[in-house]
Amino acid sequence: MFKLALKNTLFYKGRSIATAILTFVSTMLFILFISLQDGSHNSMLENSLKIYTGAIEIYRKDYRDVGGNEYLIEDAKAITDKLAKIDAIEAFSTRYETYGLFSSKEYSAASMVAGIEPNKEKVLSSLGSALKEGRFLDENIGNCIYMGAELVKKLKLGIDDEVAFVGGASDDSFAADIFKLCGVFKTGLFEFDSSASFVSRSYLDELMHAKNKASYITIKLKNINDAEKVNSEIIKILGDKELESLTWKTLMKSMVEAMEIDAIFGYISLSLFLVVIFFVIMIYGFINISSRIKEFGVLRSIGLSKKNIFLLLFYEIFILSTISVILATPIAAYICYYYHINPVVIEGIADMYKDYGVVSDEIPFNFDIFTIFWNVTIVYMLNFLSILYPYLYINSFKPIEATRHV
Amino acid sequence: MYKLILKMAWKNSFIRLSRTLLVIIMIAVSMSMMLGIQGIYDGMVNNMVDKNKRSDSGDISIFAKDYRVNRDLIYRVKNAHEIKDEIQKMDGVEAVALRLRAEGLLSTARKSSFALVIGIDLKEEERFGKFSEFLKEGAIDLQKQGAIIGIELAKTLKVRVGSKVIFSTQDGSGEINSIALYIRAIVQTTNIALDNSAIFIDIDQLHKFLGTASTEATQIAVRGDGLYDKLKAKYPNLDVKSFLELQPMIKQMQDLMVIFNSVTFFIVMSVVFVGIFGVMYVSILDRIREFGIMLSVGMHYKYIRLQIFFEALFVGLIGYLSGAVLGAVILIYLKNHGIDLSSFSDALEMWGYESTIHGTIKISYFTTTFASIITASILSILIPLRKIKKLNPIEVIKADK
Repeated sequence: MFKLALKNTLFYKGRSIATAILTFVSTMLFILFISLQDGSHNSMLENSLKIYTGAIEIYRKDYRDVGGNEYLIEDAKAITDKLAKIDAIEAFSTRYETYGLFSSKEYSAASMVAGIEPNKEKVLSSLGSALKEGRFLDENIGNCIYMGAELVKKLKLGIDDEVAFVGGASDDSFAADIFKLCGVFKTGLFEFDSSASFVSRSYLDELMHAKNKASYITIKLKNINDAEKVNSEIIKILGDKELESLTWKTLMKSMVEAMEIDAIFGYISLSLFLVVIFFVIMIYGFINISSRIKEFGVLRSIGLSKKNIFLLLFYEIFILSTISVILATPIAAYICYYYHINPVVIEGIADMYKDYGVVSDEIPFNFDIFTIFWNVTIVYMLNFLSILYPYLYINSFKPIEATRHV
Repeated sequence: MYKLILKMAWKNSFIRLSRTLLVIIMIAVSMSMMLGIQGIYDGMVNNMVDKNKRSDSGDISIFAKDYRVNRDLIYRVKNAHEIKDEIQKMDGVEAVALRLRAEGLLSTARKSSFALVIGIDLKEEERFGKFSEFLKEGAIDLQKQGAIIGIELAKTLKVRVGSKVIFSTQDGSGEINSIALYIRAIVQTTNIALDNSAIFIDIDQLHKFLGTASTEATQIAVRGDGLYDKLKAKYPNLDVKSFLELQPMIKQMQDLMVIFNSVTFFIVMSVVFVGIFGVMYVSILDRIREFGIMLSVGMHYKYIRLQIFFEALFVGLIGYLSGAVLGAVILIYLKNHGIDLSSFSDALEMWGYESTIHGTIKISYFTTTFASIITASILSILIPLRKIKKLNPIEVIKADK
């Protein structure tokens, strides 16, 4: 039956070429589209995770929902001692965050001030590498402040300039101090660069009465794909119902949802192409079958069953689909791989979409064998589906009737 | 004669009913899907443009020179009321609104965040952009230190209607000043900048708080068409900006949408063309003896050409009409009911969209599709017609089927 199918595909050249070309186009389109979509989503998530948010963060319950000093973690060391025992954790650090007003000689602006452990942050986040001017913090750098570029612009500050701060301390008292601008960072995340500043924890703890307290503890994992597993382990080892440990999927819920919506609209657009191509493949298959009714009548009359006829049609579409997929997949996979290593650069896109959290002009493709595999599987399935109607049509004829068909 | 040709073309179009129906279904399904996708994408961008114009920039906004670069209160338009009166007298002006803005820190007892206080006149804003339509919760009221807060800022600070907040900023004389405000309403403008950071208060109250003169403003927003050049010429010492100059991202979104829709349209129509071509080609080849006989009994080639032309036209037209009806139903549904994506509301609000996305309907969707489908149908018969033109009637009649 396979041999007969092979001969048929070679004999009916018009149908074979049209089907093969359309399958080739849909395979390429499908693989490249999904790769680009997944790649840009992964890149947005990775960039956001790299900048400041941890793969896992530990909070005292209600800190995120209600907020306030009574929901600070009171004994941060007890928790970090436990975290040190978990192998899958690459690094962790405590952070203390508060808000206040900064005033330079002429200008004022509101900002978040976070007390960080500079040496640990170098491993945990890209704060250190986002340095644009001056220097990053170290543990004993005193009243040095590390500010976002947009905030510095707003306050019209220069390196080594002094800036006054007024805010609230961890005991609800007023806290005021004068900081010296030591470094300026630019992550590309517009909102973050215009509203965040950092001070070494050792100095800020004194000012805010926040020794051993923390707003939260941020964690970097050796492998981010283990986040759920490690999170369960953390919850177990902490054994404290007053604490909550959350993975990046919860911490960045809005962004994860945004990616899902974008993917839904992407699939809707893609489905339009696939549906049209499916119809055309089916039409060509149907035209081909219509012109071979007599042939099928003869085949049925000499003893071939309906199952054999189905097998014949199946082999024909299988041969055509396989030829196209074998040609299209390596080309598409290579393009995905190439642009995965060398992302497409669209100058100015990060600046244009800064409000949407786009921090880079680079748009990488995603190269994932499993994704390519399921893309190809769907193309195969659509092609197999396209023979169903022609098969039902041919079966509507009785063998004798079919042999007489004109 | 023409009546007979039309009759023959109509009958021949349906001689292979299944085949013709498949082509009609293909055209109808692809066309309706394409219309639906175009409608929903355009609807998303149009909604964003409309809400941004109504809540903030209008069609044109006027600022003091350097305000947009420095965002500082010292760069304010001194004679804003006078300018407003002048603009209102101009032809084509629909509404004018004055606004005063200052950046600062908004705090509750537990949380603080960067915020932008905007002084507005509610009656003016209602005329300008139907401000009350942005209401999500509470009542639009700015009396007795009342304030209206953007939805995302309310989420950040965990405030509700009735909450008390403190706004601190540098006033007009450079001193740090604070004001207690009571949240009366939460609004969603779907303008990301406003939803994320704006708190609206009465403009007179803000003037008093900031120590600025009541005749001043940081922004004069204007609604109306064809005013840009006139205003730019009239106020050379001010910064006059059109909506798209203020929102380059929306301009790029619109451009991207046009490119995306055009590419989609081109690809889909090309594939549809391949489908129609296949059916027409086989349909003509099937009847090659018939055409041979017609030629040999003296029928002129131009009549056969006309018959085939009508056949293609009928199939294309029926496909188009089915697609147009189906597409119109989808578009009307999308326009009236929209797609409910409230399970993704967090993300949509973060990106400046409403949780129910409504489509839009443009006549151009139907006219361009009509032109493309009819063109594809006519083009699909060119090659088969050439084949018939080269026919030798005697040879064809003699040939086996």
